[in-house]
Amino acid sequence: MSRVAAASPPPRSVWDSLNPVRLLGELSETRYWMYLLLLPSALLITAVVLYPTVYGFQMSFHEMRLNRPALGTGFVGLKHYARMVSDPIFWTSLVNTAAWVTSSIILEFLVGLIAALALNRNLPGTKVLAVLILIPYFLPNVVAGHMWALMLDPRLGVINDVLVRIGWLESYKAWFADPTTAMGAAIVVEVWHSFPFFTLLIMAGLKGIPADLYKAADIDGAGAFSQLRLITLPMLKTIIAAAVILRVIGLVNSPDLLLILTSGGPGRSTQVLSLYAFQTAYKDFNFGYAGALSVVMFVLLMGFAYIYIRLSKVNQD
Amino acid sequence: MATLSIKGVRKSFGALEVLKNIDLELEDGGFLVLLGPSGCGKSTLLSIIAGLEPSSGGDVVIGERNVNDVHPKDRNIAMVFQSYALYPTMAVRRNIGFGLEMRKVPQAEREAAVQRAANLLQIEHLLDRKPAQLSGGQRQRVAMGRAIVRDPDLFLFDEPLSNLDAKLRVEMRTEIKRLHDRLGTSVVYVTHDQVEAMTLGTKVAVMREGLIQQIADPQTIYERPANMFVAGFIGSPTMNFLTGTLELAEGGLLLRHGDGALPLVGLEQDVAGFVGKTVVAGIRPESLSAGTGAAMLSGTVDVVEPTGPDTMVLINVGGQVISARLGSRDRPKLGAPLSVVVDTTAVNLFDPETGVRI
Repeated sequence: MSRVAAASPPPRSVWDSLNPVRLLGELSETRYWMYLLLLPSALLITAVVLYPTVYGFQMSFHEMRLNRPALGTGFVGLKHYARMVSDPIFWTSLVNTAAWVTSSIILEFLVGLIAALALNRNLPGTKVLAVLILIPYFLPNVVAGHMWALMLDPRLGVINDVLVRIGWLESYKAWFADPTTAMGAAIVVEVWHSFPFFTLLIMAGLKGIPADLYKAADIDGAGAFSQLRLITLPMLKTIIAAAVILRVIGLVNSPDLLLILTSGGPGRSTQVLSLYAFQTAYKDFNFGYAGALSVVMFVLLMGFAYIYIRLSKVNQD
Repeated sequence: MATLSIKGVRKSFGALEVLKNIDLELEDGGFLVLLGPSGCGKSTLLSIIAGLEPSSGGDVVIGERNVNDVHPKDRNIAMVFQSYALYPTMAVRRNIGFGLEMRKVPQAEREAAVQRAANLLQIEHLLDRKPAQLSGGQRQRVAMGRAIVRDPDLFLFDEPLSNLDAKLRVEMRTEIKRLHDRLGTSVVYVTHDQVEAMTLGTKVAVMREGLIQQIADPQTIYERPANMFVAGFIGSPTMNFLTGTLELAEGGLLLRHGDGALPLVGLEQDVAGFVGKTVVAGIRPESLSAGTGAAMLSGTVDVVEPTGPDTMVLINVGGQVISARLGSRDRPKLGAPLSVVVDTTAVNLFDPETGVRI
C-alpha cells in the first residue's frame, strides 16, 4: 500500500492545473501529440498548395472575367473545356509545348550528361569548373532571358556579330522575329540555362557508382561507349528519371523565359500552354478559361509522370 | 595457363613510394599469395599485374609477353574483386558471360560456356537473378564464374573472401583450392589473412611497406621465416621472441636469458659469428610442450586460455612473457611455477639489430 501511495502524483493546485506548460507536457504523453506536431505543416500545405489547387479546379467550372464583371461568377459546367476543344490556339500551344519540352529535355540531358562525365574525371581544374558550370542555373529566368535577348538582338547582338565575322551568317538575323528560328533560339537559351541541373544530379549519381565496376569492365573488354551504355546509364536510371520528371514539370509550368524572349510570337510559333494560360488570365482577364487550361496541364503532367515512371521501370529495382 | 614474372616493378603516388623494386616469379599453374598488412602495396601490385594501374617502372611479363603497354582486356587475365564488382543491372547469366559478349563470342558458344562455369560452381539455379537478389556467398561464386568462364592465362584475386562471414570464408577457401587443382590456371591471390595464404598458396610472398620480405613455399615461410616481421606476421598466436645472449658451453650452444639458460640442440643455423652477442630466439608456441627434457624454459603461469583442442598458456620467463600451446588436458594453475620443453630444432635465431634471421 505504501508503495502505491509513493508513486501517485502530488496533489495539484488550481494554478497547476491551468499551467499551459504542464498541460502541454501531459498532452505530449498521449497519442494526440503527433497530430498536434503535424498541424503546422498541414495548415501550411493547405494554405499554399491544397487551397490554390482546389480553387483552380473550381475556377475552371465558373465564369470569371475581370473585364466583364456583368457576367458574374456563376457555375458554367464544362463550358471552358468545350471551348478548348475548338480553340485552335489551344491545339497550337499543345503541339508547341510538346516540341518545346521534348527538344529542351533531350538537349539538356545530353549536354548535362557530357558535362557531368567530363567533370567526373578528376582532372586538375574540374572542381572549379564544376562550380562555374552551375552559374547559368543560378541565374533567374528573367535575368537569363534578358541577357540572351540582348545577345541575340538583331541590331547590336554579340552573337550575330560573331556569326557574321566567322562567315556563318551573311547579315544580322532577328532570331526571335522569324517563325522558323524563334523556337530553336528559345530552346538554345533554355538548354543553356538548365543543363546544369542535369549535370549536378548526374554528377551526384556518378559518385555513387563503384570504381570496381569499371575496372571489371576494363578487364572484360568493354570499351568506353559500352561502359557508358551498359554500366553508367543503367546505374543512373533512377536519377535520370527523377531529373527528367522535375525538368518536364518545370518546363511545362513556367512561361517566364518564353514570355521574355518571344511572348509566344512571332504569330503563335512559340505559344505554349503555360504562356497561353498566363496570357488568358493576365491579358484577357479570363480566369475561368485560364483555370481550365491549367487543369488540363495538371492532368497532362500527371499522366506523363505516371507513364514515364512505368516505362522507365525505376520501381523495379 | 602461363607463367608470370615481375621484374623491378616500382610504383609511386607523388612522393609516396608504395612499391619498391619488386621481383617475382610464378611458375605455370602455380598459386602465388601476396600476403601483408594493410597498406603494404599488395593490392597495388595486383592492379599493376592486371593493368588497371600503370607502374612507375619495371616489367610485367605474362607467359612470354611483356604486357607493360597492353590494355587489361588484352592481357588474357580474369580478376575477382573484394567487392565482387558484379554489374548490378544485369542478371547473373549476363554478368558471367559479359567478357565473352564484349569479345563478340557467338551467343550459342557463350551460353554453353556460362552453363559450364555455372555447373562447376553450382549456381545454375541463380542464372536469372540480379546480383541484389544473391547472398554474399552466391555473389562470390558468380564473381568466380565470371573469372573462369573465359579460360584466362592468369587469375587475379583481390581479397575475395574478406566480405564473407567466418564459416563461409572457410567453405569458399576450400572451393578456390579445389577450383585451382581442377583448372590448373596460375593464380595471384592477395590477402591479409595468413591462414588463407598458408592453405592456398604454393608460394607466398610476404610484403611490408612496398618490399617483399620473403618469398617461399608456405612451409618454409612458417618454419624458417626470413626475418622477425615475417616470423611475427605468420602464425597465430604469434611466434615468441626470447632475447638472450648466445654462449658456447661444453655441451654446445646456449641461450642465456635472465636467470635461465636454454641449450640449443640441433640448431640448423650457422651462428658462430654471434657467440657472446645478444640474439633473439624465435620459438613457436607449438614448439613448447609439457614434460621434461634437455631444453627447458621455466617461469610462472600468467594466463591460461583453454581453446578446446589445446590450452594456450602465457608463461612469465624472467620478465619475458612467452606463449605455449599445450595439450587440452594441461591446465596449470595461475601463478604456479611451470617448466616446458622446447623443441630446439624448430628454433630460429634473429639478429636483434636488423631483425634478420641469422
